[in-house]
Amino acid sequence: MTDPNNNYFVSVAEIAAKLDQTTLISQQLSLTASNARAVALRAGEKAAGIRPLTDFIDRLAEITILSSKKINALAVILSKTSVKKVRADNAIERFNAVYKSGKEAKYIDSIDKQHQSCKLEQEQLEATYRRQINQLSIELKVLSSELRNAIILATLSRVEASQSGAQYQDALINVADNVEGAAAKIKEHIKYSQHKVSILEECVTLE
Amino acid sequence: MKTQMLFENGSHAWIMFGRDDEKTEKIIDTNQYMVVTSKNALLMDPGGIELFSAMLSAVIKQVPADKITHLFASHQDPDIISSLGLWDQALPNATLHSPWIWEGFIRHFGMENITYAPIPDEGRLLKIDNVNLEFIPAHYLHSSGNFNVYDGEAKILMSGDIGAALEAVDAPIYVEDFDEHIDKMKMFHQRWMPSNRAKNDWVKRVRKLDIDMMCPQHGRIFKGDNVKRFLDWFEALDVGVATNSG
Repeated sequence: MTDPNNNYFVSVAEIAAKLDQTTLISQQLSLTASNARAVALRAGEKAAGIRPLTDFIDRLAEITILSSKKINALAVILSKTSVKKVRADNAIERFNAVYKSGKEAKYIDSIDKQHQSCKLEQEQLEATYRRQINQLSIELKVLSSELRNAIILATLSRVEASQSGAQYQDALINVADNVEGAAAKIKEHIKYSQHKVSILEECVTLE
Repeated sequence: MKTQMLFENGSHAWIMFGRDDEKTEKIIDTNQYMVVTSKNALLMDPGGIELFSAMLSAVIKQVPADKITHLFASHQDPDIISSLGLWDQALPNATLHSPWIWEGFIRHFGMENITYAPIPDEGRLLKIDNVNLEFIPAHYLHSSGNFNVYDGEAKILMSGDIGAALEAVDAPIYVEDFDEHIDKMKMFHQRWMPSNRAKNDWVKRVRKLDIDMMCPQHGRIFKGDNVKRFLDWFEALDVGVATNSG
């Protein structure tokens, strides 16, 4: 496996850290849905259209939290696999050095079994790494497509805000801003992670 | 990496590995020791990660890898045992004997296959084939959980950091002129060893042993009368000097 900047396990850890932030932002979305519901209750008929929207925001928050938690867990597992892979690569490298420097050693054959065992472990980790990175890529796409709904919800919230009268307008615009802002931040994290993942995928393919 | 046979009789042998001229300059030179019995071998203070390849290459010139069934780490330092994660791949069925207090720490070096056999504070015996070895307490010299290995039959004491000297990679294997050697080991003992009480306790214990050869983890080996000279010198030495100057 060729690694980007010789530290692919660091890249994976960075993805995990970035996606951990995504989980926190998703939780803020849930808070926004609660605020929207409170405003809708106070506004009564003047903001009747916002009530069904709060359910959608809630649903979006729920999906985003679940999805980002799942992706974060995947990234953490991938990070562990990549560290194990680095260690296995390191062991193979050291064994190879022994074969080179100790080729005249009387018992050089006695390390063959463990060398083979290390190579097998390395191959298994390689396969696991490929599978996990592919899974992470798929999950990032799923979350990204879910976030398209956030833009629609923010737009609809603005429309409802304009019809709710001056008393509630600011509060509802704030809801729209929060949905839009959270979605934008999450998208940024997804984009960053997808970029990093694509580099890692490229490296795996080049192998 | 040089290999030196220290002792050999019908039942077992002591081999020293060290003076690695291929190591990088800023890494301290270390001595590794191996006891080879009829069917097994014990590798003592096998060294750091950087040393692993050179050590494994040297060791398999003497014995097949699967004969090394026991490892010993006198304490937790990186120059002693940071290669553990690699030995764990090379010797998955081995047992590591090391102070009980360091188990949770040493496992950070990576240990999924090797078995950890904790040594209690008072020490214990290890019988390999027909060879009896004894883990002698050397706590606070310098590590707070620390052991030497004594072989009564060979009359060899593997003394870890006690007797260590900081010197060039091409230094002789044995101490030739004890008085001249003092300069090379004085600062090491005064600065690394924290406790006069622990030091004197160890000297008292070791004086009771019959020792022909005292083998430290750095520097040169003490033979014959130089063992007693070392014990006398060490007993009189004031250690833990960093606190004195404060």
